[in-house]
Amino acid sequence: MDIINSIIEIFQTSGFASLSWQNWVMILVSFVLLYLAIVKKFEPLLLLPIAFGMLLVNVYPDIMYDPLAIATPGGEVLDSSAHWYDSGVLRLIYCGVKSSIFPCLIFLGVGAMTDFGPLLANPSSLLLGAAAQFGIYIAFLISIATKYIPGFEGFSTLEAAAIAIIGGADGPTAIYTAGKLAPHLLGPIAVAAYSYMALIPLIQPPIMKLLTTKKEREIKMNQLRTVSKAEKIIFPIVVTVICVVIIPSTAPLIGMLMLGNLFKESGVTERLSDTAQNALCNIVTIMLGVTVGATAEGKTFLDLKTLLVIAIGLIAFAFSTAGGVLFGKLMNVITKGKVNPLIGSAGVSAVPMAARVSQVEGRKYNPSNFLLMHAMGPNVAGVIGSAVAAGFFLLTFGS
Amino acid sequence: MNFLNTAAEATAASAAALASSDGGNTMTITEALGLSVTGIAVVMIILALLAVLVVILSKIVRFFEKAARKKSDKNAAKSEIPQTKAALNAKPEVGKTVALDEKQSAGNLELYKTDEKTAAVIMAIVSKESGIALNKLQFNSIKLIEK
Repeated sequence: MDIINSIIEIFQTSGFASLSWQNWVMILVSFVLLYLAIVKKFEPLLLLPIAFGMLLVNVYPDIMYDPLAIATPGGEVLDSSAHWYDSGVLRLIYCGVKSSIFPCLIFLGVGAMTDFGPLLANPSSLLLGAAAQFGIYIAFLISIATKYIPGFEGFSTLEAAAIAIIGGADGPTAIYTAGKLAPHLLGPIAVAAYSYMALIPLIQPPIMKLLTTKKEREIKMNQLRTVSKAEKIIFPIVVTVICVVIIPSTAPLIGMLMLGNLFKESGVTERLSDTAQNALCNIVTIMLGVTVGATAEGKTFLDLKTLLVIAIGLIAFAFSTAGGVLFGKLMNVITKGKVNPLIGSAGVSAVPMAARVSQVEGRKYNPSNFLLMHAMGPNVAGVIGSAVAAGFFLLTFGS
Repeated sequence: MNFLNTAAEATAASAAALASSDGGNTMTITEALGLSVTGIAVVMIILALLAVLVVILSKIVRFFEKAARKKSDKNAAKSEIPQTKAALNAKPEVGKTVALDEKQSAGNLELYKTDEKTAAVIMAIVSKESGIALNKLQFNSIKLIEK
């Protein structure tokens, strides 16, 4: 009898009895993402930890359990003996996301890995980076318009602003903004932003092809000039001063990005630069990826709001890509055929995936074309652009 | 930059007013459209401003680098004169290779049992007799033929 009771008990505590259909759906989604990361190699460094976090939380939801979150509507914690350290292990790590520490540290690493040389050699690429933020504002409008969906109360202004930043294609910026404006939507926004960033090689090419002619895609761009060390050192300092003075709320993101870059370019902090771009960035990426994935717990994740966030995020990505490509076409006309519009799509930040897509697409139509360095300009400009766009929302709606 | 600050503050104030008027819930499509246009304009202006600054910065840096390069070239040219004088006074060495100034003649000259003063005289005579400028001539070696 004891054996049978034990078996019954094991079954009752197992996932087969406790998991809901939503969990099983999310487990399947995580399998698809794992497949894309491992077999298709779609940004595996990001997608694999996200997918695995998603898998973990859906087979064992308590890994994100937060005893302090179980409270009365007045905010009183029901279990008075509960401590923060009673939380699930991934919930504890997730504090780095909620507190915006991880996004800022990722920006430090990104800055240390970024070469602003292509941007300095061709400053007009900053405009491409700005144009590729177009999707942010389209997403904002769509989010506001959701109140016209029958049976749906719509997103609040703050939620709409947080969702819109997905269009910047910049995970850390999206997390940072969501954490400030709509913390309850942080999970879906982060999952959408990172998943779409990983899926950029799938999302962008059809839009790029649709908006450009074969002749435009074949344009070969002139080699960029060499940028001096002094220019590279002065640039992060100037950007920090200008951006932060105009929009102070960009300070944490732009500040960390430019600090990382100064580590790299100054040449006097090699150890710090190395740590920021390798060890630190990798550690934070693991923790951020897994915990962001772990916010996609089926029971809370699969609702209309989340699905709308995911859908609007995709639209935002598409419009940002279109904005960059169309501005690239405009620059091509102004420069009388010297700019390949394909580099415009790299204006969505997602460094360096978006630039790689421009390179790959360019070579498809002209095998002797080498657009990577030209696309890196708008690509890194997009990082600054999305941080400025986020700063604008924070300035406008932040408390 | 002041106008940008003012614009941003004005937008923040109007958005705060909107938020308070609707209990922080939602804004109308027209208001959202206005905010979106302002937003993309702010991003465009700031990045355009950065682009202009980058152009100015690059020009300034390149100007100073060019000036510094010219100065170092001048210093290098000056420092080469005493070296040449010292070289002229040096004793001849067997098989020594001397790199001559470009303005004198191209390539490396090998001297065999010949001092540099004698070599310079020989080169000057050859240039004068042939009517070819010294920097158009290339001497490979000058060797003393012993009887």
